[in-house]
Amino acid sequence: MNELKIALQSLKMSVRTRMQYRVDSLVATLAVFIRESANIIVIYLALLKFDNINGWNVNEMLFLFSLLFLTYAFVVSLFADLRDFSRMIREGRFDRLMVRPRGLLFQLILNNADLMASAGHGTLGILLFLISAGKVGICWDFATILYYLGAIIGGVLLQGGMFIFFSSLSFYFLETNSLREIFYWNMRKFAGYPISIYHKLIQGLLIYVVPFAFVNYFPAQYLLRKPDLINYNEIYIYIAPLVGIAVYLSSYLFWRVSVRRYYSTGN
Amino acid sequence: MRAYVEFAVKKFQDKMAYRLDFFMGIVNTAITILVYLCIYKALYGDAGEVDGISYPMVATHFVITLGLSNAFHYNEMFLQDKIRDGTITNEFLKPVSFILRLLAENIGEGAFKIIFHFIPALLITLLYTKLCPPVSLLGLPVMFCSVALGYLILWLISFIIQTWSFWLFSVWGIITIKNVFVSILSGSLLPLWFMPEPLQKILSFTPFESIYFTPVRIYLGELSGRETVFALAVQAMWVALLCVIANMFWKKGTKKLIVQGG
Repeated sequence: MNELKIALQSLKMSVRTRMQYRVDSLVATLAVFIRESANIIVIYLALLKFDNINGWNVNEMLFLFSLLFLTYAFVVSLFADLRDFSRMIREGRFDRLMVRPRGLLFQLILNNADLMASAGHGTLGILLFLISAGKVGICWDFATILYYLGAIIGGVLLQGGMFIFFSSLSFYFLETNSLREIFYWNMRKFAGYPISIYHKLIQGLLIYVVPFAFVNYFPAQYLLRKPDLINYNEIYIYIAPLVGIAVYLSSYLFWRVSVRRYYSTGN
Repeated sequence: MRAYVEFAVKKFQDKMAYRLDFFMGIVNTAITILVYLCIYKALYGDAGEVDGISYPMVATHFVITLGLSNAFHYNEMFLQDKIRDGTITNEFLKPVSFILRLLAENIGEGAFKIIFHFIPALLITLLYTKLCPPVSLLGLPVMFCSVALGYLILWLISFIIQTWSFWLFSVWGIITIKNVFVSILSGSLLPLWFMPEPLQKILSFTPFESIYFTPVRIYLGELSGRETVFALAVQAMWVALLCVIANMFWKKGTKKLIVQGG
């Protein structure tokens, strides 16, 4: 119970901090929203001309994108400090957490929710979902809704787990940003499209190494059953929500092992 | 002039110091090319040509555009940071023009990106895909003129927005929005050939078309001799116009500048 109270207090603090600069926060939210919309606008314009991409029409594409944005809205409010972790270490702010009477990861997860980014991604995700969900032929009964919620939670845990993994690497290497740039941010850009269009190598990366495919492609396939599913083992679409949990747990274990190596960068 | 060349060279050497950055830059660029070519290929499906544009033309368009946008990738928060911490005053004391110095440094950094990120990535790309060769050897110098003008247009738009930090608390949001507009409307993600007809009409009256699309069309030989001259003139006109606007904002801003403390 006490933990929950701290969590709420921390969230309140985040809101208050952001609200100090009201206009600036609003512009930042808008900027994130517009920046992320760019891909959507491009694929929309492209499909006006080309009709479909590997069998996926415009609404199905929007649905695929919506999963990516909805999950990330939660990720960026829960795991913002882990996103910027290497900077935190460099500036020595991590030491502060070590003297407080709560778990390190617990504090990191609660601190500093990036609410502007969250609002930007969330609004876009909800918008895309509302536009597309009724037009892609999904029968929204109890089972599909349950699967959908599971997939969202799984997607959040999966991306959060990856943030924890990359943050743990900071205990071994001084500079992890370029690694993160290539393996996280680049891969995330690719995950917006049906992965079947890519080179086999990139498909492999998206399924087995940086498993973004389980955040949106396979959950969307469970609901849509597009013909390109035949390239993959069908079991993937059923285990998609569970992959998130597995990634999160193994990242958590890796973190536990790695954090012991930490010694401050000094000042 | 010598001083500005020095600035450009200095920045270039600065960048050379980071080896890891250099390696990651190549990988990043190569992956981006690979992925977008996959997307275009999937869009084309079995169609050989769409609206008279073939897949190799689109691929070439994307690769050239990416190279140019790579060259134009620098810290757009530079002016804001200088104003915030007050070090902008030091710049006024130096016997060089701040604007030209900034431009020189950006060109230096751009040259680094082209030579060490883009060209290696391009060579990797050529291993697995065919791109269109330039239409004629004579076309190449003309294209380079067009590229230079396009670069100036892009740079001036960015500089104009940067000068707004004399008035605004933070320009990060506006810069982000500007970049989205540029990347969509200049056709760097989806070539302007495939934009809806009315949008293409509107864009021909904006500077966006002149940034990447004109150089690429010259490279592919889509423009006749007369059209080329006209396109270059349009580019030059935008450069002149944006120069005037940039100068106006810069003059007004520096007059208004108040630095607190020191």
